[in-house]
Amino acid sequence: MKVPKQLGHANLGLGLGLRTPHFDHILEHRPKVDWFEIISENFMDSQGRPRHVLDQIAEHYPLVMHGVSLSIGSTDPLNLEYLKKLKTLAGEIDAKWVSDHLCWTGVAGQNSHDLLPIPLTEESLKHVIERIHVVQDVMEQAFVFENPSSYVGFTGSTMNEWEFLGRMTEATGCGLLLDVNNVYVSARNHDFDPEEYIRAIPHDRVVQFHLAGHTDCTTHLIDTHDHPVIAEVWALYRLAHELTGGVSTLLEWDANIPPFEELHAEVLKSKRYLQEEGLQGPVVDWEQEACECVPAEEGCVSPHPLHHNTVEVE
Amino acid sequence: MKEQVQESADSLDRVQRWMQAVITHPEGVLSGADGEAARELIDAGRGNLESVVTRSRSLEAADRLAIYANAYYARLIECVGDVFPVLKRVLGDEVFDSFAFDYLQAYPSKRYTLNYLGDSFVDFLRETRPDPEEGNDEVDWADLLIDLAILEWTIYEVFDGPGTEKERMLETGDVAGVDPAAWMSIHLHTPACLQLLQMSYPVNQFYTAVRASDEELVVDYPDAVTSYVAISRRDYIVRRYDLTRPQYELLKVLQAGGAIGQALEACMEVVSDEDLDQLLVDVQQWFSNWTSERCFFQATQKGEIGMDKQDGKDF
Repeated sequence: MKVPKQLGHANLGLGLGLRTPHFDHILEHRPKVDWFEIISENFMDSQGRPRHVLDQIAEHYPLVMHGVSLSIGSTDPLNLEYLKKLKTLAGEIDAKWVSDHLCWTGVAGQNSHDLLPIPLTEESLKHVIERIHVVQDVMEQAFVFENPSSYVGFTGSTMNEWEFLGRMTEATGCGLLLDVNNVYVSARNHDFDPEEYIRAIPHDRVVQFHLAGHTDCTTHLIDTHDHPVIAEVWALYRLAHELTGGVSTLLEWDANIPPFEELHAEVLKSKRYLQEEGLQGPVVDWEQEACECVPAEEGCVSPHPLHHNTVEVE
Repeated sequence: MKEQVQESADSLDRVQRWMQAVITHPEGVLSGADGEAARELIDAGRGNLESVVTRSRSLEAADRLAIYANAYYARLIECVGDVFPVLKRVLGDEVFDSFAFDYLQAYPSKRYTLNYLGDSFVDFLRETRPDPEEGNDEVDWADLLIDLAILEWTIYEVFDGPGTEKERMLETGDVAGVDPAAWMSIHLHTPACLQLLQMSYPVNQFYTAVRASDEELVVDYPDAVTSYVAISRRDYIVRRYDLTRPQYELLKVLQAGGAIGQALEACMEVVSDEDLDQLLVDVQQWFSNWTSERCFFQATQKGEIGMDKQDGKDF
């Protein structure tokens, strides 16, 4: 299948996830952010302030939609009503592309609202490919899928995740959202080499990167999205950047969300790393400036939280 | 045995149903794997989890599954708490989370969005409330909690539901030229974001007091007395208004599609004879306030005498 490099999408630069606590700051100050990524489900049914804010932000920033409920790997039927709403929103806000995860979120009508891993088998691959075709037919555009961080593997799996992603993109023409932190987290959790993963994926299909922090529980890593990006992930990002030629990059922060200025400072730091990758020579010593991995505090650590909109009531 | 398990674990659908049964089991992964729901799909049990899920260098299969199991309840309980923040404050984190934990088992999410996660919480509280027949002295407490949950769920729905911000609402001038004789047959259409609640407790005031209290919650619990509340939205912010019973009865009739005359009759039925004169004075002020609060889309009279829509303040 002949697919243009990066599906023909431009590199939008460095973006941020649009989160409720930052609405007022963004509307008031219009900070210098290249683009915003939204959680599709937080806006596709909104008839209140979230949608009102989104419409205003759409007038000033490029937007990308990132969903958490497509459940492409589930054996439940695809929710066509959901897909139609997704398509409508994408059209209304002129989303540059629409993404979700290679995962399943529930089965038998139930939704766990988690991004659950699928066994990496021929059966799963065939199933996912068939469903991606349906999704892309309804959406009338190539869809983009993110590699999730995962904590279990299956005895029935017969291939690596990077092989699965490569064959999936080849068969469907879909794009990839490469979450570099997820590669690192999954590599630690499944004992593989993250560099091998990043070298093996089809680089010309990578439309977007995600960067995020995680929590080290010693025996495993959890994708918590509540810390700065660590040095090892920056190193993988640098590699991915080299191999793809550089694509739109999003800094994710979903728990203990800091004030906008603090988060924005992280984005600006990322921007300097990117400049370092350019031809102008190093701007900062990224290895020194990057943060150490944060160890888990005692007790249960959960993957990054789900988002829904915060109610404003007088 | 292991080969049989392996064979059944090869089906994607079976693996997914099995994993869901294991990680959503309220007693944890091991009980989930031993449970009937999981064993009917893949007969692995806690002793044979690694026939389905691999171990890593550092973690056994059960520990790895537990990451998902722990997250499932922890995250969704937090989300339920976000929908009912004042109820959570009143109950305390531990008690509220326990209610939410039981609720999620009784009403697992079946929607693609979290917006409906709390939509059966009031039903759940009603179903599990102490039985009044048994003379339980916690009954009144339960009614207050249910009232509070109803109020918070209504606020949640109104916040992101259809509003009037982009509509032209009825304005005072729209009805200025209407023949007074025709007033009684006029219908005022109310928007979906106007919700009218009849409660067993003065729950709106209680809600305000809890929100205003310091970190250490010091609020007197109110005595049972019927109260009336209107929830609406203006400029994308949810507004709450205490209503008197006559106001509630009047708005209720208008909301149901009745004419102003019918609404006034309902209103007068709950006012004593000596207060009737004052009522007629008050009603004009109420309509003025409600109009400025954007409570009416348009006025119509027997069919379609279009008068239109409006905007404003205090009930």
